[in-house]
Amino acid sequence: MEEYVGALWHRLITDVADKRYPSEAVSLEQISKIAGILFRSWGGDSGLAVKSATATRHGAKRSLLQRIAGSNMKTELTWLDGETLNLPAIIDLFPQRDLNRDLYLWLIALAATHSEPALPWIQRNQRATQDVLERFPGLACRYQRLADAVLDMRPRPERLPHGEREQEEAIRAALLNPGSVERLPPARRPPQPVYLWLHPDPPASEPASGKSNDPQDHNAGDNIIKKEKDRRYQAERVDMPDSKDSFMMSFRAESILSWAEYIKVNRPTEEDDPPDDRPAEDLDRLSVAQDGKTAASRLKFDLDLPSAASDDRPLGDGILLPEWHYKKQLLQPAHCRLQPMLARGAEPLPLPAHLSATARRLRSQFAALTPSKVWLRGQFDGSELDLDACVQFSADRMGGLQAREQGLYKSHQYHDRDLACLLLADLSLSTDSYISDHERVIDVIRDTLFLFSEALSATGDRFALYGFSSLRRENIRFHILKEFERKYNDEIRGRIAAIKPGFYTRMGAAIRHASQLLVKQAATQKLLLILTDGKPNDLDQYEGRYGVEDTRVAIHEARQMGLRPFCVTIDEKGSNYLPHLFGISGYVVIRKPAELPRELPLLYAQLTR
Amino acid sequence: MRSLDLDLIHSFTKMPHMTDLPFYKPHGNELELFEHAFLRQLPLLIKGPTGCGKTRFVSYMAEKIGLPLYTVSCHDDLTASDLVGRHLIGDGVTYWNDGPLTRAVREGGICYLDEVVEARKDTTVVLHPLSDDRRILPIERTGEILSAPPEFMLVVSYNPGYQNFLKGMKPSTRQRFVSLRFDFPKPELEQQIVMGETGADTMLAKKLVNLANSLRTLKEHDLEEAASTRLLVYTATLILSGFDPVDACRAALVEPLTDDEETAEALMEIVYASFGK
Repeated sequence: MEEYVGALWHRLITDVADKRYPSEAVSLEQISKIAGILFRSWGGDSGLAVKSATATRHGAKRSLLQRIAGSNMKTELTWLDGETLNLPAIIDLFPQRDLNRDLYLWLIALAATHSEPALPWIQRNQRATQDVLERFPGLACRYQRLADAVLDMRPRPERLPHGEREQEEAIRAALLNPGSVERLPPARRPPQPVYLWLHPDPPASEPASGKSNDPQDHNAGDNIIKKEKDRRYQAERVDMPDSKDSFMMSFRAESILSWAEYIKVNRPTEEDDPPDDRPAEDLDRLSVAQDGKTAASRLKFDLDLPSAASDDRPLGDGILLPEWHYKKQLLQPAHCRLQPMLARGAEPLPLPAHLSATARRLRSQFAALTPSKVWLRGQFDGSELDLDACVQFSADRMGGLQAREQGLYKSHQYHDRDLACLLLADLSLSTDSYISDHERVIDVIRDTLFLFSEALSATGDRFALYGFSSLRRENIRFHILKEFERKYNDEIRGRIAAIKPGFYTRMGAAIRHASQLLVKQAATQKLLLILTDGKPNDLDQYEGRYGVEDTRVAIHEARQMGLRPFCVTIDEKGSNYLPHLFGISGYVVIRKPAELPRELPLLYAQLTR
Repeated sequence: MRSLDLDLIHSFTKMPHMTDLPFYKPHGNELELFEHAFLRQLPLLIKGPTGCGKTRFVSYMAEKIGLPLYTVSCHDDLTASDLVGRHLIGDGVTYWNDGPLTRAVREGGICYLDEVVEARKDTTVVLHPLSDDRRILPIERTGEILSAPPEFMLVVSYNPGYQNFLKGMKPSTRQRFVSLRFDFPKPELEQQIVMGETGADTMLAKKLVNLANSLRTLKEHDLEEAASTRLLVYTATLILSGFDPVDACRAALVEPLTDDEETAEALMEIVYASFGK
C-alpha cells in the first residue's frame, strides 16, 4: 500500500512540478536517420555517430515543487565529442509536436555549425546561432517560434534574486538578438539550462584508448541482454583494486549506498541475473573497473591464443600490413602482422545432407550463368545471315511494305563472365551467439560458404574463400579455406566445416590482404565480398571510430586497385556505419540471418549480372 | 603559355565566324586546353560527374571554333558499326551508310562520344587507330582507310563516379587522350551559371547553390550521386516560371536524387532550412 501511494504521489508531484508533454514527444529514435543526414549535409563531420545523450546536472535553481518532487536536477542537452553527436533521447518540452521536432533540427544545425570552442559559452552559442541563421535563412522563422516558446518557459527575471536576475536578462537578450550580449554576468548559481543552445560544459568522454583490456567482446556471447537504447554515460575508468581488504573494515556502513560513489575496495564479482538498470539512469557518472574475469568469459572462451599444438597450422612468418590512424591522418607502415593459417585436422567431407536440396536447386539456377556461346539474331553485323529475318524482309518488300532498317545477320557471341570473386568471412567470437534456438551465427556463415561455393562452382566463375579474426595487431588470423587456383572439392568442404569462432574483428588488415590476393587475378571484374555480423573491433584502440576509419581507408584502397568491395551483414544496426564505409550502394543488411545462406548466392547473381 | 590566335583556328574551319554561342562559363583553363588540343590534333577525354557541363562545353567549343559537332550518346548496345556505318538494304540494292564517326572524319568536325565507357568493347578497335598519331579510320566493310583531316577532333567523356563494376576505361585507351577533369563549379561561378542560364536573380541563385552544396556533402554516404548544376538549372527554371519554390526543389532536386522516403524527408528539411517553412 505504502509503495502504491508513494508511486502515485511521485507521479502526481513530478507531473505538477515539471511541465512536460509526453503525448507530443519526439524521440531521437524516430528521427535518427534524418538527424544523421541533416548533420552531415549542414557541414558536420561524416564520421560521427548520432547517439542519445545522458542527462547532466545543471545546478540551476529549482522551484519549490521541483524540490519537493526531487526532479529537474538534471537535463539532457546537446554536445559533440570526437566520436559522437549527443542529442537528447526525447524532446517533450513543448505542447506541440512540431515544435519539439523543430528543436531537434535546430540543435543539429547548431552542432553542425559549431566551431569556435575557445569562446565563452554565451558568445559561442550566439555566434553559432548567427551563423546558422545566416547560412539557412529558412530556419529563421522556426528559430523565432522556438525562442518565443523557450522564453515562455524560462523564469521571469523580476522574480529572481539579484545576480541571477541580470544573468537571466542577459540570456533572454541573447536569445532574442543573438550577438548582442558580450558576457554572462556572474551569479551564485548557474543559469537555467538553455534548451536552444549547446551544452555549456560538455562532459569529457573517455577516449576509447589503447589501455582498454575489456575481455568481453561487445557483441559477443549469447547471454548479453540486448539494450534497445545504448545511452552514453559519463564514464570514468578506474583501476580494479588489487587490495584484498574488505570494505567492511575501512568504511562506514553508510557508504554502501553506492551504485553512485566509487569506493576502491575489493568487491565480489559475481554474475547474477541481469542487473536492474534503473539506478544507473539516475547517476551522473558511472565508474567502470576493468575486471578481466567475468564468469561468462571464463566459462565461454579462453582468450589466450591456443597452444601451438592444438591451434591451426600457421603458414609462413606472417605478413606485415599497414594500418590507418585517423587522428594522425597517416598510414602506419608494417603495423599489423597477418598470419595465414590452415585448419589442422580438417577431414575431407561431402556436402552436409541438410543443404543438398538447396544446393541442387542453386546449381541448376546458376548453370544458366555459365559462359556459353550463343547466337544473337537480328544483328546488324554478324558472321552469317539470319535466314528468318531475310525471309521476313523479302516477303515484306514483295508485299509492298516499306523496307525498314532491320538486322539481317546472326552473330556468334561469347557471353564472357570474366570474373573473380573473393569472399572474406568474419569469424570473430561474436559469431558464436545464437540467432535461433538451434543455430549460431557461425553455423549460418558455414552454410552460406557451402551454398555459395556450390553455386559458384556451377558457373565456372573463379572464386576464393577466406576467413579472419584477430587478437590485437600482431595476431590477425587469416584462415585459408579455398584459394583461387584450387578446385572446390571434399577437402575444401572439410576446411569450411572446420571453421570456428574466435577473437575479434580487425577488418582493415584482413581487407588489405584479401585485396592483394584478389588484385593478382587476371579477371577484368573483381568482386570482394565481405561477410560480417558487426562493426570492426579489437582489444586495443581498434574499436569505435579508429576501427571504422581504418576499415574505410582499406575499402578505399581496394577500390583504387579496381576491385569492387561489397559488404553483406546481418548486423541490424549496420545502416548506422556501413554507408560511411562502403557507400550507399556498397552493402546490404540481411534482416533474417537464417536466410543468409540462400540470399547470398542470389545477391551474387544480381551483382554480377 | 602563348595565347592562341582565334583566326588561326578559324582558318581550319569552313564555317564563318560564330553566330550565337551557347552559354558557357569557363572555370579553369579548359577553353585554352581545348584549343591547343584541337590545333595540335590531340584527342581529348573529359571526365566529370553528371550534369556539370561536359556536353555543354563541347558544343560551346564546336560553335566557337565553328565546326560541326557529331554527338553520340553511348549505351551498352552501341557497337563499332553504329559508329562507323553499315550497309543498308534498299530496293534490290545495298548501299553504304556512314556512321557519325565516319561522317566526322570525312567532313571534318568534332565527334563527341558521351559516356564512352558504356559502349561495347569492340568500339575500342575503331577508336585506337583514330586516337593515336596515325589518325586513321579503317572501314573493314568497304575496305576504305580514311585518314582524318586536321579539322577532325575526337572528344570522349565519361563519369568516373559511376562505380560501374563491369565497365571501366582500359588504361590503353585512357592513355591515348589528353584528359580534362570537370567538377561542379565554385559557388560564385555556379551562381553566375544559374543566373545566366535561367535569368534568376542573385538571391535565388545563391540560395540554390548553397542548397546544392549542402546536398553534395552527402554524396557516397547517403546519396549515390551529387546534385548536379543541371538540376539546379531545372529548379530555378521551375521557380521562375511561377512554381512554388519549395515544391520546385522537391520536384527537381530532392526526388531525382533519392528513392528512399526517409532520405527524401531529410533532404526536404535541408530545403526548408534554405527556403523557409
